[in-house]
This record gives sequence, structure tokens and C-alpha cells, in this order.
Amino acid sequence: MDADVERDIGADVETGVGTGVGAVAAADSAADAVELSKGPNTAVQGAQGGPAGPAGSGIMALSLPYQVVAAVALAVAGVFVCVHLAMVFLHVAPSNTLTKRHGQAVDDWIYPEFEQNWKLFAPNPLQQNVSVEVRAEVVTAGDGRRTTGWIDLTAQDAAAIRHNPLPSHTQQNELRRAVDFYLNSHSDDDSPNGTRGHLSEEYMRRIAMLRLDGLASLEGADVRRVQLRAVTRPVPAPRWSTENNDVTPSYRDLPWWKVTDADRPDGASRSRTDAAGQSRGEAGR
Amino acid sequence: MSGPTDTRVCTREPFDRRIARAVQAVTGRALGPHQTAIVRIGFSLTWLVFLLRELPHRHEMYGPDGPWSWELASRLIADNRAFTVLMWSDGRVWFEFVYGLAVLSAALLLVGWHTRAVSVVFMVGVLSLQNRSVFLGDGGDNVLHLAAIYLVLTRCGQVWSLDARRAAREAARDAVRRAAGETVGDGRRDVVGPLLWTVLGGFLLATTWFSDVTGEWWLPVLLWVLWLGHGLWWLACRLAPGEPRTLLDVLANLTHNAALVVIMAEVCLIYATAGWYKIQGSRWQDGTALYYPLHLDYFSPWPELSELLGSSGIMVLLLTYGTVIVQIAFPFTLFHRKVKNVLLVAMMLEHAGIAVLLGLPVFSLAMISADAVFLPTVFLVALGARAARGRDRLLGRRSAGVLPEQRRTGEEQGPRTLVG
Repeated sequence: MDADVERDIGADVETGVGTGVGAVAAADSAADAVELSKGPNTAVQGAQGGPAGPAGSGIMALSLPYQVVAAVALAVAGVFVCVHLAMVFLHVAPSNTLTKRHGQAVDDWIYPEFEQNWKLFAPNPLQQNVSVEVRAEVVTAGDGRRTTGWIDLTAQDAAAIRHNPLPSHTQQNELRRAVDFYLNSHSDDDSPNGTRGHLSEEYMRRIAMLRLDGLASLEGADVRRVQLRAVTRPVPAPRWSTENNDVTPSYRDLPWWKVTDADRPDGASRSRTDAAGQSRGEAGR
Repeated sequence: MSGPTDTRVCTREPFDRRIARAVQAVTGRALGPHQTAIVRIGFSLTWLVFLLRELPHRHEMYGPDGPWSWELASRLIADNRAFTVLMWSDGRVWFEFVYGLAVLSAALLLVGWHTRAVSVVFMVGVLSLQNRSVFLGDGGDNVLHLAAIYLVLTRCGQVWSLDARRAAREAARDAVRRAAGETVGDGRRDVVGPLLWTVLGGFLLATTWFSDVTGEWWLPVLLWVLWLGHGLWWLACRLAPGEPRTLLDVLANLTHNAALVVIMAEVCLIYATAGWYKIQGSRWQDGTALYYPLHLDYFSPWPELSELLGSSGIMVLLLTYGTVIVQIAFPFTLFHRKVKNVLLVAMMLEHAGIAVLLGLPVFSLAMISADAVFLPTVFLVALGARAARGRDRLLGRRSAGVLPEQRRTGEEQGPRTLVG
């Protein structure tokens, strides 16, 4: 990079086109602020007239009363940044002495808006494909009550993702995360843990009904009950590896659920919309 | 913000002078104008691409009749108190309006139109849709969620924005007038700003009205503070252009710089978390970890490509170890410009690879946007100049002073440390 560009950059960095103002959060931690503000404030006094910063801006362009306000704001901002980063750090760190003692304070600060999870494929990447399959007990006009075979909903997603440069969240995340949510909010014998357990059941039913609704083979059939199962298929060990893992799938059958009106895509109270029909078609593509 | 460069230059300067300079720097300037601008552009583009891509799926994802129905969402939100305006009504029209507003705000933030106000609308859009259906998101949504909040506090429209262009034009016009001996009135005839402010004030009233279904208390309070701050700034520019205006400028700079530190620290935390948890996993230790995501149905849009990459044990080992090394090392390389830049390139390339190989383009774009906060100013300026030249060639314009002219104050000791 030549000197010219370097100079340009120097000038660029200086730019401060004022286009607005974001006020610092109210100085409610004033006690902390006062103590901290002593440092910078006295330092500023010492630097009066120094060649730091563009003229007419910054703390040095202010008279003493305004400088005090600015210094307090600086202290508040500093404290706020430190506390926030400490909270985020404790939130993403493993359980430790501090979080065991003050976990509630960390949670209160973080949830719901600053929740984060960066254990991306860690500590170990998922090593199995989890498929969700559904079968339904339907009543048709002609031959009465019958039970369908297992329909692989995850296979629909996989087919939609294949050779798709921009997969939709409805294909990549909806069912995958819904079954995670279900498994995390239920005990091994499928009893729900609290509200979230109930919510996840309804969510699974609604996803299943939405997907079944898009199937041509169930045209005109009235779905009375559904059963879901999660099929776990371990990814076979690499060919170049000496490992030999067992790849037989394991099944987890969820209970049969009665389908209520609230579980159907159009819901109990609202009328069906064209757009919902469209997206259903695409999801089941 | 004072870092190694400053320390080296000022070894003979007394400590209190260095502190004073640092204080002047964080109060006098909104640091990293190009970095915050590229972060703004990156995230707004990510969200815009995402919303447009999901346009046909929007009802299934966030609509009142989607599988995660309005009723289910309202039961969860009553519990977790997340911010969303979609709980105000279960009507189709309201949903379409919010989605449309989210698209519009993403496009406007991208081009930097009334950036400070639009960034708030952008945040409301992101939070409203994401919190409405929390079980749809992935890491990309998560980082976008955080960035949307932090961006509100930054002056991210200082360069590469319509705001910057308008400011430059106004400055040029004033200069011409001053040269002609006319008085330069500060009464800018900007009607859009006050109009926008009034409209947003109406929304703010609605937010307050619906505050028991809108989320936790602090977000509406933040919105009010921002709104009042904007009003105060407008008044100060007209009625008190002296010290009150400078003070507001100082506060805005402080907030910007604090938010910038938080954004940078967040990126470090992301990589540190991702890296340090990985080294605890047996698959990352034995060098086969990368093989597995390549064989998951949900993350293999190009099975042939995945098969090819996964067929070589050595290749998988190198990429697996490389990923962990880069992620763990990154935060520490910030103390060395050159190594930091090399790692930054490596991480961006890796994300570009993830975009294709694992079928996660939106996630990757969001992560690259976050990484961009560490791009060197030299590179960003060159990139901006090149983009401007390309634009002019495309539009058949003559290229002259295309970038908004920057005021040169002769100050050379810029923030060349973490962001420079």
C-alpha cells in the first residue's frame, strides 16, 4: 500500500459525520460511575491544550460542568461494557464456581435477548441422522378406518435441501429443531416436562399435520390420530478409518396422539389461507 | 481503545497524557467508521437475503397459522418475555405489515438511509420475527439477533451510506455559500427526519400501550431513550449548536465506541467458545470431526462434493485441526496485525466453504459480516474505492470524488489497533 493511500486512511478514520445521537443508558449505577470518573476526569484536566483529537469535538472541547457529565457517561459506558461482557462470558463458559453461585443473576441479564450458543459442532459433531416418521389413522369415505404406513418427513426435507444452494429454514431447521425441542422437554417415557413439554407436543402435531396435508395419497382422508417416531441412524465410520461402528438404526416410538382441530393447519378459529397452502406444497416438494 | 500502536509511539509520553488522549479519542470520534459500516451492510444484506428467500415460506415460519401458531408462541412468550411486536395482534394484515417493514428496514439500512432511525426499526424487525418463532433459528439467526441490537448503538452510517452522501453534499453547498459571502444557516430543510421521528413516536406509544405483551421492560425503555435522544439532537443542532450539541456528540461517540468494543468482544467469544469446546471432543481430537457433518442429511446439499472431501482421511484431518487452531488462536492474534489478518482471511474462506458444503449460506454470510469488524481500514477503503469505480463504470458516470469527501484534520494517529 503506498503512502498516498495511507494518508487517505488517516484522514478517513478521522471522519465523524454526525448523523444522529444515541444516548447512553441512564446513569442508574451512579455510585460506581462517580468513583471511576475520577481517573479520566483528572487526566483530562492535565491534558488540556494537548494535540489530541479534532478541534471542537470530544471531551476537551467542553467546559468543566459538561466535562463532568461526559466523564460520568464514560464511566457508565465503561462499567456497562465490562458487566455485559462478563455476563456474556459467564453465559457461554462451562458451569463454574461463579455460575454455580450466581447463575440466576447471569440468566436474568442474558435471557431472553442475549441468549447465545456457539458450541458449533462441539464438543463432538452430531454423528447420526435423526429422521422423524409419522403414520396416521385415517377415515376415508370408501373403506372406513385404516392406518397408513410410516411416512418419512425428514426425507422430504433432505430431498428439498439436495442440490439447493439456498435451503429454507422450513426445510433445514423446522423439523430438526422441533424434534430436538420435543426430546429435550420430555422424559424417556414421553411425559412432558412443564409447559414447554406440552408446547412441543402441539408443535410436533401441527408440523406433522401440515406435512400430511400436503400429501396426495391422503387426499380426502380425515386424519383422526397420528403417531410419530424418531429413527436414529449412525453415520457409518469413514472408509479410511479403522473403526467399525454399528449402523443399525434405533427407533423411538412416540405415543399415539388424537388430532384435535387446533392441530390442523388452519387452526380452530381461522380460515385457511392460500399462501399457507402454497408454502405447504413447497415444503413437501 | 488505545492499543499497542499507541503505546509504541508514545513511550516517552507520560501515562496521564496517554490516558487523556485515549479519553479524547473515545469521546471525540466514533471509531472504526468503515468497520461499523461494513458490519451494518453485511448484516442488513444477510437479513434482506434471508427475508426475500423465505418470502414464500413466511406464513409457515412466522405467520399466525404456521405450525408454531400464534397461540403457541404467545404461551411461550408469556414465559420467556422476549421482545416481539407480532403478539400485538393475531391478524394476517399485521403480520404482513411487520414482515414488509422488516424487508424495507433491511433494504434501507443497507443503503444507509436515515441510518440511526432505520437501525432501530431493523432491530425491532429482527427481534419480532426471530422471537416469534425461536425454534426455527440457527447460529446465523443468533449472531444476527445480537448484531441488530448492538448496531442500534453505533454510528454505522458515517461512510458508505446515503446519510454520508447527504452530509457531504450539504457541506459542499455550505462551503460554496460561505465562499460567496452568504451566511450559512443551519436550518436544513430536512423534513423526512422529523417526519420519521414523529411516525416512530407513534409506534413507540403503541409499544408502551402493548408493553405487557411486548417483552421485557428494558427494550421499550431503550427505544424511548433513543427516540428522545434523537429529538434532543435535532433541537441541539438548531437551538444550541455550542456545548450542548458537543456534549450530545460526545455521548453518541461514547455509546458507539462502547458498542464497537462489545461487537468485537462478541466475535472473539464466538470463536473462543467454538474452539475451546471443540478441543474437548474426541472427534476433533482424532481428526475425523469434519467427516460427520458432511454425512448428515440436513447438511449435505451436494453429496458428491461432500463425498469427495470426506474420501481423504488426511484432508479431513488437516481441515479438522485447522478449524480448531484458527478458532482458538483468533482472539490472541488481535495483538498482531499481520497474523490477525491472515487468520481473518482463513476464517472468511472457511465460512464461504461452509456456505456451500453444509448448505448454510445465510449463517455463513452472518458470520462473515461479524468477522468484518476486524478488517483493516486500508483494505476497506480500497474496497470502497473499487466498489465506487465499479458502480460508476456500470452507470456510465465519470469517476470523480465519488466517495463522500472526508474532512482532513491532519490527525494521523487513528485507531489502528483492533479495528485498524
